[in-house]
Amino acid sequence: MCLAAAAAWGWNARLPLGIPWLPSPGNRVGIPRAFEKRLPEINAARALQLYEAADALFVDSRDQKDYEKDHIPGAVSLPMRKWTKAFPRKRGKLPKDRLLVLYCYGAHCGLSTRQGKALLEEGYDRLVILDYGWKTWTEAEGPTVKRPRARER
Amino acid sequence: MAAVKRLLTHPVFLALVGIAVGQELIRASLDKIAYPDLFADIVHDYDMLPPIAINAFALIMPWTEMVAGAVLVLGMLPWLGAWRRGAGLLSTLLFAAFLIAIAQAELRGLKIECGCFDVGGMSSSQASWSLFARDIPLLLGSLLVWRKGQ
Repeated sequence: MCLAAAAAWGWNARLPLGIPWLPSPGNRVGIPRAFEKRLPEINAARALQLYEAADALFVDSRDQKDYEKDHIPGAVSLPMRKWTKAFPRKRGKLPKDRLLVLYCYGAHCGLSTRQGKALLEEGYDRLVILDYGWKTWTEAEGPTVKRPRARER
Repeated sequence: MAAVKRLLTHPVFLALVGIAVGQELIRASLDKIAYPDLFADIVHDYDMLPPIAINAFALIMPWTEMVAGAVLVLGMLPWLGAWRRGAGLLSTLLFAAFLIAIAQAELRGLKIECGCFDVGGMSSSQASWSLFARDIPLLLGSLLVWRKGQ
């Protein structure tokens, strides 16, 4: 165990996307040191404000089938489990100068955080994560749409 | 029954079991070591540890897999013989923890990645009962090396 801890310490110190041993305040777990403070979380009330003011583009990190069942109107589907295929196709719909609100299923879904980190690596810098994702949005009675409009897909 | 017992405690059989379990542990550790941030996300999704402990766990656990796996694979070497049972114990604890984690995720209906082998490629499988079943022989193999290894 001591050997493993020493190896982990040495390796993490050298890794470009190494993580802090203790998550710093205001950061989710697993946020690399290089990305600290660059993936803030917002709650449903703030997300609703952004939605109503049309100030942000919502990005749905969930699987395509769940997006097709129900999603936030105007949200772009970018399924994180299919990132390698989905991102090149959706890149054109994700302007870098617009605030992107990433959401996935709920409290125990890290897909939006993983997507945030991947987008930071792609040069996107205006990102927030909707904490508790789809679950909190529906509990707050945010608007939803059942079927995707063709231009949203 | 005596023949089965003789086989299960035969040094060559135990060495082969050690190699089989050890290479699985090494293979499972590689992606987690390369991407500790993604592995921390997956540990968080399992919802079993307090957030403050998750980063440290995500950093140490894959290296524990790597060290235990390497000792099990190289356990035939005389200078590692004394470490093999310790590695068997560590491996037993790791597989018991994996089984508990997967079972509770399934029972609670959490739709999460397994994080078993692939955490960086975004294509890892979901925690499921089939993965639970796959880990049982590995737990039994680890137990055997721990209890009967020399």
